[in-house]
Order: sequence, then C-alpha cells, then structure tokens
Amino acid sequence: MTDGDGQIGKAKIEGGVDAIVIGGAPDGLVAAAYLARAGLKTVLFEASGEIGAPCRSAAPEGDSASLDGEHLFHGLDPQTIDDLDLYSCGVAFAARRMGVAYFFEDGECLRLGGDLRAAAQDADPDGDAFQHFITDAFEAASFMRPLFSGAPGVNAAFATALADAPPRLAKQLDRWMTQPAEEALADYFPEGAVKTAMLAEAAFRNGLPPHEAMSFSPLLARWSGEVAGLQGAVAFAEGGAGAVIDALRRAAQKAKVEFRTASPIARILIEKDRAAGVELDTGNQLRAPIVIAAVDAETTYTELIGPAVLDRAFQQSISMRKPALSTAHLHLRLKGAPIDETTRAGLARRIVYAPPADKICRAFAGAAQGDVPKELIIEAVFENAFDENAAPDRQQLSVLAHPTPALAASDEKGREKLRDAIVAGVERFAPNIAERIDAERLATAADMASASGAPAGAFAAREGVYRQLARAAATTSAGSVGGLFFCGPEAQIGYGINGAAGRNAAQAALGKIDRAGAAR
Amino acid sequence: MIFPVDDIVAERPAPTPLYAAAASVSTANLWTSINGFAAARVYDSVEAEYRAAKEGAVIADFGPLSRYAVRGESAAVLLSRVATAPALSLSPGESARGLILDDEGGVIDLAEVSRLADELFLLTTPSPQPRALQLAARGLDAQVEDISRTVAAIGVLGANANEALAASGLKIPGDHVAASAVLRGVETAARPMQFGALPGAELVFPAEDALTIWERLMRRSSVKPIGLDAMEVLRIESGAPRPGADFITRVPRRGARRPLPSEIGLPHLAPLDGGWFNGRRSLRFAAPAPDHYLVTLAIDADHVLPGAPVALGGKADGRVTLAVWSPAVRRVIAFASLPGATAGKIREISVVDDGGEARRARILDTAESRLAAAFQQSQAQATD
Repeated sequence: MTDGDGQIGKAKIEGGVDAIVIGGAPDGLVAAAYLARAGLKTVLFEASGEIGAPCRSAAPEGDSASLDGEHLFHGLDPQTIDDLDLYSCGVAFAARRMGVAYFFEDGECLRLGGDLRAAAQDADPDGDAFQHFITDAFEAASFMRPLFSGAPGVNAAFATALADAPPRLAKQLDRWMTQPAEEALADYFPEGAVKTAMLAEAAFRNGLPPHEAMSFSPLLARWSGEVAGLQGAVAFAEGGAGAVIDALRRAAQKAKVEFRTASPIARILIEKDRAAGVELDTGNQLRAPIVIAAVDAETTYTELIGPAVLDRAFQQSISMRKPALSTAHLHLRLKGAPIDETTRAGLARRIVYAPPADKICRAFAGAAQGDVPKELIIEAVFENAFDENAAPDRQQLSVLAHPTPALAASDEKGREKLRDAIVAGVERFAPNIAERIDAERLATAADMASASGAPAGAFAAREGVYRQLARAAATTSAGSVGGLFFCGPEAQIGYGINGAAGRNAAQAALGKIDRAGAAR
Repeated sequence: MIFPVDDIVAERPAPTPLYAAAASVSTANLWTSINGFAAARVYDSVEAEYRAAKEGAVIADFGPLSRYAVRGESAAVLLSRVATAPALSLSPGESARGLILDDEGGVIDLAEVSRLADELFLLTTPSPQPRALQLAARGLDAQVEDISRTVAAIGVLGANANEALAASGLKIPGDHVAASAVLRGVETAARPMQFGALPGAELVFPAEDALTIWERLMRRSSVKPIGLDAMEVLRIESGAPRPGADFITRVPRRGARRPLPSEIGLPHLAPLDGGWFNGRRSLRFAAPAPDHYLVTLAIDADHVLPGAPVALGGKADGRVTLAVWSPAVRRVIAFASLPGATAGKIREISVVDDGGEARRARILDTAESRLAAAFQQSQAQATD
C-alpha cells in the first residue's frame, strides 16, 4: 500500500517511465538508445559508477582507459551503426582490415594481409588450397550471417534459407556446422603453416577443442561478422573498445536516455505474469511496462526474478554448465621509448602465436582439467602501433591467451603460472620481452566476473554455434514474462562488442507496443 | 485421487505394503499393474463393489500412487511451481487438488497437495514425477523425499465413509481438514478426499504397519474392498479423466503438445487469476486454440469399446477413450474426445458400439463438468 505521495514507508515508488534497461554494457546502451529514439522515456540502470565499467578493467593503473579485454573488433552490427548513427557519435577505426603475422613453434612466420581473399592468392606454398578454403568459408559465413545475429525466430528462417540454398552450399554448411575444426581443415590443407594458422584461428576463444564436433562453426560465425563495412575483417577502433562504448553512450544520451549509475537493481517486479518495473537495492521502485535486461541470464532470471515464478524447464534451459575454458587477458606496459614511425608499420597487425595442432589439443584437455597449459594460442596487439594517442609516451601490449581454465588461477600461485605461460607465448615472437615489462595486469574470467558481479560462466568460452543459438533462443524468450526482454551475453552468438542483441531486444519490445503506447 | 493407466506390459509388478491383505480377500484374483505395483482389478464382483461404495463404505489400496514429502522454508513455493494447487494459501491440515503442467501449460499429471505443517507438505500424484520435482527444487530451500515405498495408503470411500472411519477410531474434523490419530499404536494421517461424487478419506501410515490398519478397518467397520474396475465406473460417472488413458501425458512426437486443462475438462484446476504456477504465463498469453476436448457421454448401448468412433451430426469426428457400464445411468458411460471446433455446437451424437451399430448418445452432466461450468461462468463474469 502506498501513501499519498507514492511512498511505502521510506521507499519511493516512481512512475512515468516507458522502459527500463538494466545494465550499462554495450547491448544495454544499444537497446536503450533504440527505445529512446522511438520516443519512449527510457531509464538505464548501471550497478557500477561508470557506464561500461566491467569492460575497462584490464589496463594497468594509469594506462589508457580505452583499452580492455576486447581489444579488437570482429563484428559490429552494421544496422546498429546506421540506425544509431554511431560514426557521428565518435566511432572511428584506426585500422579497418588488420593484417596478421602468425608465429610458429619452429620460429617461422607467416604474414598475411588483412584481406584474406587476396592474402590467400599470395600464400605460399598452400596458395591454391587456401584460396579455395577462404572462398568457400566466406561464402558460407556470408550465408549464415542472419543466423548469427541471434534474432528471434532466426532458426526457422535459417532452415528455410538452407532448404533454398544451392545444393553444394547447403551440403557444405550442413557439414561445417557440426564438423570438428581439424577435420574441416584437413579437407583442404596438407600439413603446413597455413593449416596450423587456420587451426589456431578456429580454436582461439572456442570452448571446444579442434578435434571435437562443432568446433569449426565458431570460425564461420566470426567470419560472418562485419566491421567497418568489411565482412570477416578484424579492426582496431580509435581509442580502443572503450571508445566504442563511449560512442554508444553518446548515442543513448543523444536519444535522451536517462542514466542512473551506482544503482544496483534488487529485483525485477513481476505482476500478473508481466514485468512491471524494478526495485532498487534501496527499496525504491521504478515502474515501467517494458524492462530490458542487459546483464547475464543467471543474474536476470535467478536473482532478479527468482526461481519461485520461473517455469521449470525454462530455468533449466538457461542454467549454464560449469564453465571449463576461458580466455585470459594480459596487459603489459613496456619499458623503453614509444614506438617510432619505422617500427610502427611492422607492428600494426595482429600477432598470433599458433602452437602445433597436437599441443593445442593438449592445451584444451589440460585447461578443461583446471591446469594452466604450457602452450597457449596468443593474440597480441601493440595498440600504439595503430593509435598513437592510446599511450603516446610508452609502449603497451594487449595480449589474449586461450585456452585457460575458467575457474582456476584464482590464487596467487595459479595466477603467476598463468602469467608466465602467457609471457612465454609472447616471447615466441618478442624474445626477451619479459625483461622489458614495466607494469602488467592480468584479467581472468574470474576477475571479469568479480568486476561485473556476473557469474564466471558469462565470461567463459562459448561451445559451438548450435548450443549458443539454443541458449540465445531460450534466454531471449524471457520465460514468457510479458514486457521483459533480454540482451545479456547469452543472447549474442560469438564474443566481443556487437550490438545486435541489444537491437533485437529493443525491436522486440517496440513490436509489443500498441498504438496507444501500452505494452502488450 | 485417480489412478493412472495400467502398465499392461509390466512383467512382474511389485507388491504394495497391503498386497498380502488384499490378496487374502480377493476371490476374483484379477490383478493389473499400476506404476509397477500390483493392483486388484476386482475382489468379488464389480457390481457388488460399486453398490457397496454407493450405499456403504469401501476401502481401496492406494499404494500404487506416488507420494512425496516436501519440507523446508520454500516447500510451498516449490509446490506452487510443481502444481496448480494453491500450496501457498493452504493452512496446516488443508488439501487441494491441482494439475502438474509443463511450461506450455500442457497437463503432465494430476496432483493433490496437503499441508501437514508450516514447512511440511504431502504431494500425491497418479504417476511418479521425480523430474518435475527435481527441476522445481532448483534454487529453492526445500527438500523432496519420495516416500512412495515407505508409506502405505488406504482410501476409505463411500456414503458411510466417515462412519466407518469413526468406528475404527479416526474422526475427521471437517470436510477439508486433515487429522492424525494413533490406530492400534500406528501413527496414521487422514486427509479428506472426494472420489468423484463419493466422500471419503485417504489414510497414510508407515508401510510396515499396513496390515494392522487394514485389519482394523475391516474388523471395526463394515467396509468392503473395492477394485479398480468398480472405481473406474465411479470415476467416469464423476467425469474425472484418467491420465494416460483419457488424455496423453507424454508428448508422442516432435511438434505435438500435451492437452491444456480446458481440453481435459479441468480448467477449474488451473485458475489464471490465483497464485503463480508453472505454465501459467503460457496459458495466459500464448495458449493455442483447443484442439479437442473431453466429454462424458451416456450411450444407449450395452457394450462400447475404447477407440469407438463418435459421430456428431452423422459425421465421424471423435472417439471414445474409455467406456464402462454404469448401474446408476443404466447405460454405457464413456469419455470421448471431440474436435475443439465442435464445442458448444453439438446437436446429435452417436457412438458405434462393439457390434458396429450407431447408438444414440448424450453428454452427461457430471460433478467435474459442473465445477468446470461454474468456473467458466465466474471467469466470464469477472471479465465482464
């Protein structure tokens, strides 16, 4: 019962809002911007004091705040960029199609240009096979793109599209979606540098080892992404990923989204099987007919709604298996002068250490058991080589290492072991770099989970596209709670900042608004 | 509580705790298997058992049913996820009927929930439901114990059921309140129940004392044992559908669904304006149009087989699920499944009997159909 001015005791009940977004992660910002642009009075709640804060935790103290665990972009939803006019909000790319240098165990190096189709032509000695593979893979990835957006009902649409696809492509897609990466690549390549490099690409950030079924499909998902207008490209945003989050925030601000930071949500109010608003930690309530959750599924459903009003099978479908594998991020600040113009050109690329196939498989097996593997797949980027403003007075290196145990390395000894394994991987292409480290910060899945308040599973490596699609379909169904929409990490296929999940959630919410403005 | 469909392929049914006592009084020696337990179909004769229930009191072995003790702070919440019975609003001693629904609102099973203490409930279901309970317990402070094999249960049914209980030393204080008593040194819980239109009570007690309680009831009162076949007549007369026989409880193929409460004539057991239960949101927002619905028919025939075609206005549209001869109606009575599109439009019904002849039939007004009609009327008034 409320008193005259809408208060229960000391708690306040506030209304007059059309939509609430929980979580200031990129998809939350995208969803809020879409809703506000559609004319809905939208409030975004962020538990921490800063929008996008959990994404910015990986840089050592004093380093550029623009750097984070997602140092590169593999896909940024082009429709979101257009609809929210993100280029005018500050999104810019320092490198649109990054080249890559693969380093191998024997010290050899394979350099490829950013345009993989063109690079395949020049690759030696497996040029023909590489070109054939890239042509087929990009055709398949392009066809699969609508599926990988994770939009509601996309599975059925994809099945129809597959039935209408040319038989050769349909057969190939059918095989690739379930094939182990090792087997898929063996169809094209003899043993050699290109195969090792592609195997490392397929295994990188993958929850499945390359010899297991469905381990090839995540590479297709990655290559289906479009960034900076280029399919399958890898890009570096000016100012890093943090700058993209800033641009999303500006887009939301421009659309008149109201931000409430340092405002943890205690629960989502459910009344008559519909979302009716949120209750904050303070006990205050904000009521609105639309609630979009941009935090992980477990937090959204199990904590903010609670099992007491969740359908049983739905709860089971969203619950995560205990995460086994993840990717660790090591940020290094290096001693010595900043990168000069001469070295800039050489370093302005992705640098990948690709261990041999058998060692990759062993690394997956070890990491799944909780051990830190001796050999890790390493992806490193010298940010200053792309963006001299990132840290003008020093060199810094952002490194992602995979596969690492998702829940291990939580004690000092484990962290040290993990850090040493990553540095050993970096030494494969940057000898003696250990002596040049001035400051460093290691961020594991557990660290990112603790920074964001989400379970470690939200930061674990994803297992196969079909499983991701099933989880996305389950989580975005919101357990049939009317007026509730979901765009947390489980709604996205693949990793990194993308925005499609936020757009999908907002468009689904807008589709449920009738002409009178009431949510159905 | 209604028994589920027999397992006709069960090879060696297990004895219930009351099997020895039941076998000793069975002259017909006709048995079937329910949930893997031996259950008497007939003790003496169907007609005599039926008459005893209508005119006096009968006892039935309820051992084959599944029972769960649910304990803990969130026991009521857990049960509200499991079943549509209003577990949260029950006071200690009270019982309520309900349904177990899937996420889409399809009926998995029937259920009866009794609150025995603040944090202790008894859940009775026709078939074992460990999966539904296991899923429902996730994230809740509640423990579920399957007590089906550690307790015995007797249903005391009939016009004189309360007198029979009193004669045995157990008095039930009201129509809805459970009681407990010590009968010949055995702690026995009794909860009131209805079997169709018949009043009665269910006694639950430790399995090892089963024979003691059976003997006490048989000696102190004039009850007779009743088998499944006579209970089947009483069940169909009351309009209570039987899981697995009158409606499917398992999804037979991909794309198929379980029946909705309204499709089996039990919409009143899943009210959408009460407390929350599993599947309610789907029933409320996304329920499909009824595909078919169950009715109880009185057929001018001597014998009708399950599966017999039902014709509406001369066109074969539905089928009989189960049929029995009813001494009260003096006709065959049967459950029939009819197409959803015919609801409220039926004028002439005929059913093909086992001789292949079309026989006239009419929809029978039953205790359950009256409850459903009253519920739907109240819903319509609430909407107005």
